Amino acid sequence: MNTNLKISNVTKIYPGCVANDNVSLEFNSGKIYALLGENGAGKSTLVKILSGVIIPDEGKIYLNENNLKLNSPLDAKKNDIGMVFQHFNLFETLSVFENLIIDSDEQRESLREKIDTIMKKYNFSIDLDIPVLNLSAGQKQKVEIIRCLIRNPKVLIMDEPTSVLTEQETSELFLSLKKFSEEGILIIYITHKLKEVMQLCDEVAVMRRGKLVSVSEIKNENIESLANKMVGQNLKTIKKKKAKTSSGQLIKISNLNFTSEDPFETNLVDINFSVNRGECLGIAGISGNGQSELFQVLSGEIISEKNSIEFNKNYIGDLNPQDRREYLMAFSPEDRLEQAAIPQMKIFENVALNNFKSSNFFNNGLINENKIKEHSKKIISDFNVNTDNIELKSQFLSGGNLQKLIIGRELITSPDLLICFNPTWGLDVGAINYIHETLIKINEQNKSIILISTDTDELLKLSDKISVIHKGKLSKIMSAEEVTSEKLGILMGGAN
Amino acid sequence: MIIDIHFIGLIIASIMASAVPLILASCGELITERSGVLNLGVEGMMIIGAISGFALMTVTGNLIIAIFGAMLAGVLISTIFAFLTQTLITNHVASGLALTIFGIGISAMIGKNFVGIPGKEFPVLFEGLKDTIPLLGPILFGHSIVFYFAFALPFITSYFLKKTKIGLIVRAVGDSPESASNQGINVRLVRYACILYGGAMSGLAGAYLSMIYTPQWIENMTGGRGWIALALVVFSTWNPIKILIGAMIFGGLTIIQFHMQAIGVRIPVQFLTALPYIVTIIVLVVISRDSRKIRLSTPSSLGKSFHKDN
Repeated sequence: MNTNLKISNVTKIYPGCVANDNVSLEFNSGKIYALLGENGAGKSTLVKILSGVIIPDEGKIYLNENNLKLNSPLDAKKNDIGMVFQHFNLFETLSVFENLIIDSDEQRESLREKIDTIMKKYNFSIDLDIPVLNLSAGQKQKVEIIRCLIRNPKVLIMDEPTSVLTEQETSELFLSLKKFSEEGILIIYITHKLKEVMQLCDEVAVMRRGKLVSVSEIKNENIESLANKMVGQNLKTIKKKKAKTSSGQLIKISNLNFTSEDPFETNLVDINFSVNRGECLGIAGISGNGQSELFQVLSGEIISEKNSIEFNKNYIGDLNPQDRREYLMAFSPEDRLEQAAIPQMKIFENVALNNFKSSNFFNNGLINENKIKEHSKKIISDFNVNTDNIELKSQFLSGGNLQKLIIGRELITSPDLLICFNPTWGLDVGAINYIHETLIKINEQNKSIILISTDTDELLKLSDKISVIHKGKLSKIMSAEEVTSEKLGILMGGAN
Repeated sequence: MIIDIHFIGLIIASIMASAVPLILASCGELITERSGVLNLGVEGMMIIGAISGFALMTVTGNLIIAIFGAMLAGVLISTIFAFLTQTLITNHVASGLALTIFGIGISAMIGKNFVGIPGKEFPVLFEGLKDTIPLLGPILFGHSIVFYFAFALPFITSYFLKKTKIGLIVRAVGDSPESASNQGINVRLVRYACILYGGAMSGLAGAYLSMIYTPQWIENMTGGRGWIALALVVFSTWNPIKILIGAMIFGGLTIIQFHMQAIGVRIPVQFLTALPYIVTIIVLVVISRDSRKIRLSTPSSLGKSFHKDN
């Protein structure tokens, strides 16, 4: 049976922001639809309206010509709309089966049979009786999908489903989604990743700043055209100039080891490398191979032997991050909202946090608020942070804006070396481009970068030299021109 | 010294009797906490139950009305807490503390007229069987209905949480109210129900004290048992069976240290009085030290307000 879902003139206004501005869309089963847009474009609001989590201010939703009243998630479920959220809606301490039975009206045995049938059909293998917290992200997502499938949905909405998946899991997911679509389930796929749209979808709707900008068929689009629609301007492709031949060594790591007491951390084994001025050293690897530990050792969160790190002719291995900053190092950690900034504190308060000693933010232990605010405003305008309210709590900044703020905070003191860890993780194209441009600019000013990243494309674009980390060991350091993504892939898998 | 088997049986029975109010209040609070709500008002709800039960018994003369009246009183006072924390989204800790202070104050006020009035005798079951079996006779028989209910309650609670759908929903709400709400579960309703249930059980625990255990009204007669009940819930890692063990150890040590004081053992009284608290906590910490299990049984949202926004 054909399913037709119509969104008609939906508007949702939040104080200070129009999340959905008169959006109308129509979907038919048998196709996979992409809903594309940058972070904050209003995609998530729209799908939350479809799943009954948010009630729109205006507008109507029709499923097969019936006007739906979606006042709660329960209403969406009753109307056969299934939704897999970006942040899983699972109960971590309950078993998989308990998670599935909780919103089902069926008896235990018949539900178990049903789940088994679904798992067999789509080749899922999950132990139903272990607690959800023991599952990988990919498995958790499958549990969410099973939860939807139990109800034989007409519509399945996937909100940024690949942000937590490995590549292998992503291709598995795509296979499943194609199968669902063939079986007549209408699939709406929300993402900001252009490659995925091209790979998976049949039609694409692009949103920008709460408005629907275009609806088109994938065969008439390509990555560039979609990127331009999404960002609303022509993106320049960035090209890095090759670093000038060496102008002196800046940092040298020799025989650095780190042995952790925590069984979930990776030990670092005999790390040796050096970075010259004006150079970017990229460190590739599959996440969990010691990147986080390496970042902490380099930033001084973990202290090592004094002689293992030589920076600007000083031995600094035993210094903490604050002291290392005095020597003009700067850090941008992976977790923006927990490590780099304090979510509940205001923008300007966060700006003051990395600069206790050398700044004039404090007089005799008292905070000099005006100085800090002035300084924050400078960062915001210099680094294109899209807000004019420095009193805003940093948790309300979008990922891209927060990253710009953090990079700006680190760079405004013009450090000699910036160490960053996954600086563009989870950001939209516009923000990624901006960060990349900024990083290239640093190199051009004869400053150095150590870029730890799990994004191979990013590393190839920005690095002068690349090494791969695998199980806490670094591969030999290669010039960026001689490596390809295939070669990196092999090294990341642990082969020599 | 001749050890009289019958006497040992009586001591064990008295230990069990002293554990009853702890088990009742803890099992009630356990359900409340499993739904993610931290109600520190157990002591207050217990004392309200104690005075309500005693007063109703004296005024109406009807034990059934008195027992259910005490539970209802517990429900009513916990409704205040539920309204504050779930409808007005106030802080759980502050609201719970206020509830205790309020309960102690108002019970003292109502209780003024009931001081010194002797209680009624509460009927016991299977009295005749008490002397038929040595040792076990006095342990198993000749107790009130509330006593038997209390010792069944941890098992009922465990079954309820693990095997029933409503129990599953309670745990789900405590684990992640956001997810539960997105699944269409009415988080506020579930939490209201769990708070009121906890109130009823605390009320019953109080009534047991003033009507059965020591049938009279004394101001502040719960004497911190509500706080012990709260501690039992946490240190048992939200496991009803371990609550039973903890309550027995606490009751046991309380009774034994009384006897030791009476015999005149040369240990400072202060140390003896503190002993039950220390040992109970140590034992529960030791039997619950598996950190993975703690992670699995701790309600993740405990004490956090849930506010659904649209």
